[in-house]
Amino acid sequence: MDDIEARVVDNRNIVSNYFLLRLKLAKPMGIVRPGQFVMLKVPDKNIFLRRPFSIFDYGRDIVTIMYRVVGKGTEALCKAGKNEKTLVLGPLGNGFTITKRDVCVVITGGIGVAGVHLLIKTLKHDASIFYGCSSKEELAVIKDIMERNPAIATLDGSRGFQGDVVTLFRNQMKTFKGKNIEIFTCGPEGMVKNIRKQIEKWKTPCQVLVEERMACGFGLCFGCVVKTIDEKEPYKRACKEGPVFDLWQLSL
Amino acid sequence: MATISLTFFGKRLKNPVMNASGTLGYSNEIESLWGVETLGAYVTKGLSLRPHHGNPTPRVWDERSGMINSIGLQNVGIERFFDEHFPFFQKKRTPVIVNFFGFTEEEYLDCARRIKPDRLIVALEMNLSCPNIKAGGISFGKDPQTVYEIVKKVKGITPIPVLAKLTPEVKNIVDIARAAYEAGIDGLTLINTMPAAIVDIKRKRVPIKGGFSGPALKPIALRAVYECSKAVPVPIIGVGGIMDADDAVSFLMAGASAVQVGSATFVDPYAIPKIIEGIGRYADKNGCRNLHEIIGITHE
Repeated sequence: MDDIEARVVDNRNIVSNYFLLRLKLAKPMGIVRPGQFVMLKVPDKNIFLRRPFSIFDYGRDIVTIMYRVVGKGTEALCKAGKNEKTLVLGPLGNGFTITKRDVCVVITGGIGVAGVHLLIKTLKHDASIFYGCSSKEELAVIKDIMERNPAIATLDGSRGFQGDVVTLFRNQMKTFKGKNIEIFTCGPEGMVKNIRKQIEKWKTPCQVLVEERMACGFGLCFGCVVKTIDEKEPYKRACKEGPVFDLWQLSL
Repeated sequence: MATISLTFFGKRLKNPVMNASGTLGYSNEIESLWGVETLGAYVTKGLSLRPHHGNPTPRVWDERSGMINSIGLQNVGIERFFDEHFPFFQKKRTPVIVNFFGFTEEEYLDCARRIKPDRLIVALEMNLSCPNIKAGGISFGKDPQTVYEIVKKVKGITPIPVLAKLTPEVKNIVDIARAAYEAGIDGLTLINTMPAAIVDIKRKRVPIKGGFSGPALKPIALRAVYECSKAVPVPIIGVGGIMDADDAVSFLMAGASAVQVGSATFVDPYAIPKIIEGIGRYADKNGCRNLHEIIGITHE
């Protein structure tokens, strides 16, 4: 982990409020594992704290971040132009643990793909991917994983299954029967809760990448906690003990 | 070359810069960037007799000139801190200031009693901003009489020097400082975060209430340090919005013997080593041989 100077290569609007930001680092970042994140200095003097972003992609000193404009930090970030200077602290946190399974199932939706994109790339063709979004226009977000034939759910039914991604997964669950599977997910809490409901009976192994507001990004402040079932110390730091947690340890 | 080391309660500190309580983890979290031995002293996270789970999220919020936190004093308790984390500071030979709190007078006393003197423990730092459950939740640090009583009792049970960390949300912080002094306090840490809130205009809600820290706090903290250091003859640690070495020097000039750096570390994780280096550079450039030449210089 280190704090590295970087410059904006490009900061492109993909569709609606989704952006893809590529940053050229002054020096390489160290080994990046899928699920890890960076704390990014937003190049705007009105933004005090850094912002955490999953590493969407990394290679040859270029770190790529996918984000959705949701608040004042990302509103400022989407205005950052080419060559603008910034700082990237990373790689941070514990990423996904990949163990040998018959099938790795990745379930995600919306901007959640930012957290599992590098995992999907790493898993190559052993993964079964489920992606949910509001309409077919938003599929531009997963353009580079379309060749992996993800199962798609759109809320308006404009492409693939009409409905939410967890229902789509439930409909296809029987295809995994008897197989040693593991689920990897990142997305809104409602989605994670629904996944949990579907696999409760089998306690299927499932790793969840959580999102939290952060201040430091590496365990200093205890600002970004998530509640677990550990009675002695329920609140764990998303940045330090996470951001990937075992679903069955979370208190949802 | 100027020396920026100092003697604080009889212990040698290599520089006057510490982390503010709760902004540098439990012990080794910063180690992949720089070592805790860089600090003049390490200030622990606020510790209590029993572990505290802390508040639900959101616990932190960004603001234009600082941040709000509402961690809720999550900590593993005094016992586990000494079992699991203190040995790290022994290995690193880093002086430690133990920040502690309670929700009743008894909890403060029981906690202070459990902390045994050690050559690395420079002082205890009492967080007086906690709500006093038996007094309807008003914080200990708001009333001079309450401050007098609790400081007197804590001083009576520990041989370790005691600092009182004061809240700025009082009628007159000098009156609080005087009450602590009369009760025998060894030093003051000025100031704690300022109570604050955020309004989310999209959701029409207050998503967080907590303590405000960051650059906007600096002039408020400087005023407290300036006034209190003139009023009471005990060492003061200045804290509040210090972002760079010039900020730190201004606190020393206002009358602080040492400083603590908090939220700056979240903005730049190297803020503390940069500030230490910058203070040395300032001293060299201005021909001061030691910090005594600038501490409280504005009082003259």
